[in-house]
Amino acid sequence: MWVVAQQQIDPGNLARVPGTSFPGHFSKVMLASVILGAVAYWLMQYGVVKNKVMNWVGMALFGVGIILAFAAVPSEDPTALIRFCFSVLAVSGAMGFVVAREPVHAALGFATAVLSSCGVLFMQEAYFVAAATMIVYAGATIIIFLFVLMFAQQTNLRAYDIKLTRPWLAAGIATALVITITWSVADEGEILPIKIDTTRVNSLAAQPLSDNGTPPMPTKDMSGKQVASFVPSKTAGLGRAMYTDYLMAIELAGTILLVATIGAIVLAQRPAEVKS
Amino acid sequence: MWVWLKESWPILWPTLAAIGVILAVVPLLGLYMTFIERKLAAYVQDRIGPNRVGPFGLLQAVADGIKIFLKEQVIPDHVYTTLYFLAPAMSLMTAMFALVVMPFGPVPTDYEGGFRFVVQPGNDIGILFMMAISSLSAYGIIVGGWASNNKYSIYGAIRSCAQFISYEIPLGLSIIGVIAITGSLNIEKIVEAQSGSILDWNVCWQPLALLIFFTAALAETNRLPFDLPECEQELVGGFHTEYSGIKFVLFFLAEYTHIVTVSFLTALLFFGGWHFPGLPNPTGGTTLGMILGLAVLLFKVSMVVLFIILLRWALPRFRFDQLMGLAWKGLIPMGLVHLVGVAIVLSLGLPKHLLILTAALPIAAAYYSSVKFNASMGRWNALESGVRKTSAVSYE
Repeated sequence: MWVVAQQQIDPGNLARVPGTSFPGHFSKVMLASVILGAVAYWLMQYGVVKNKVMNWVGMALFGVGIILAFAAVPSEDPTALIRFCFSVLAVSGAMGFVVAREPVHAALGFATAVLSSCGVLFMQEAYFVAAATMIVYAGATIIIFLFVLMFAQQTNLRAYDIKLTRPWLAAGIATALVITITWSVADEGEILPIKIDTTRVNSLAAQPLSDNGTPPMPTKDMSGKQVASFVPSKTAGLGRAMYTDYLMAIELAGTILLVATIGAIVLAQRPAEVKS
Repeated sequence: MWVWLKESWPILWPTLAAIGVILAVVPLLGLYMTFIERKLAAYVQDRIGPNRVGPFGLLQAVADGIKIFLKEQVIPDHVYTTLYFLAPAMSLMTAMFALVVMPFGPVPTDYEGGFRFVVQPGNDIGILFMMAISSLSAYGIIVGGWASNNKYSIYGAIRSCAQFISYEIPLGLSIIGVIAITGSLNIEKIVEAQSGSILDWNVCWQPLALLIFFTAALAETNRLPFDLPECEQELVGGFHTEYSGIKFVLFFLAEYTHIVTVSFLTALLFFGGWHFPGLPNPTGGTTLGMILGLAVLLFKVSMVVLFIILLRWALPRFRFDQLMGLAWKGLIPMGLVHLVGVAIVLSLGLPKHLLILTAALPIAAAYYSSVKFNASMGRWNALESGVRKTSAVSYE
């Protein structure tokens, strides 16, 4: 049952969260830079093009793509410049991750991409998500990758590090995906409000945050019913939302992780010796 | 851009000033910690220690610094150059970066403006941010070990991977108790919650958390009981075998920065930070109060630093299986028990000082292991004498 939050409902205050409004030439510029990036990946990927000069040309094209993307950065906001730098680092790290032949270099590229994404998250004041990403991915997962890589192979590249199986398909899908995402982000639209059962005890939507948090914004959903939509702006609000409104999802995720852990233990166990 | 700079200058300059203080003080502190360490080591080993350069040998640290800068850069043939040079910088950068949210003096929870003793006041996730950054500090060691392209360095790097991943878990578990009862991740608020009498200090009612936190944090600093990535007897120099001169020093500056971080965190989270019974709350605003608070905090921190340095000369190094056993079989179960205790106290509304009962757990564990050790030694002695007897018979 969806119930109205405690605030006065103002029909003019519907949760129409506008998409970021980009300048008009934005989409075309971004499209050009995505395609340039795809071509650059082609040329950089050793094994597709077996020519050092062409690899350098690819790197130059990648640089041109980045400079093109720079044109879309709003000049009046200096923090946008820092965000852009983080984004460039993230994309370059990801490119390095895909292109690098040495597995350790690839892992470090991955780490760069993750950390730079965390930088973008920090710039948008999503502190908790950024810190959690840093701890889980950069601090644990990639270090385990490096651990395994250093154990498994210390010299000599294996065949599967040099040979690509389906580079055309991968690059095509990736380009289509990035173009779609860019298109949908650049298009001004609205983010639908999240439906929260405000009758639940301690629900974030039911009580306005006391210290500096944004109070829940009462809105109408698609069918005309009134629901509370909110953006948890503070870590405390996030915690409250996680353990009241999204309790089921959190518990399910925890259960999946537990099952995975038990599965890993079972898989790693050596078969018991048969007693004769 | 200039307009923006002009407008945001009142917010910008305290940040820049705090960054400046950290950048200026931490390397100096690292330099002098080597001196204190040498002096303490000398006293422990019944020597005098450095006493020639300057009064009481105080300028020895400066002389060392000059020597380091003037040393020749030796770059071995077989290293992967880029990462080889990047590794010490990464190591120091991650160590310094964790200091961003750490208050190094009294900081009021409702910060308004002007200079303050922290780079970013009122960070919502303070302690989590520090954990996130310190989880990255393994990268410097791993990359350095790998880029050295030498089997001892790689062994050091591999050990450091395993050690960092294992000891992050008890570190997190031990802090959760503090966070849960304070109700905030903000370090200033955690200190503010300990502002009452000495009984309000976290150490007085969750000593088990302090024990786990301190052990795990010490493991993250790569100091002696936990210095397996660089142990000289087994791995030459571990991850820094191929590093010399200023590059070597950057690694060690990072290590000393870690010690500073750990000491500050111990003082802030468990020993009441800038509060001391009898002194007024320094965050009220008077200058004298602020200076007194700063002195109290620095005193507590220097005590912890001295304790860490003394530990180096008191404890032998772990074997690798013992290191892993300590984390996975000792600290993590104890941390879980402590967490359950905190949850019970919080959900039933019991007085929080009941948590002190959890301190019985390490005492019981220590007693149990000593009994077991004695028993095994008795068995071993019996076996040994038996072997000697039989061998004496059979060889004659």
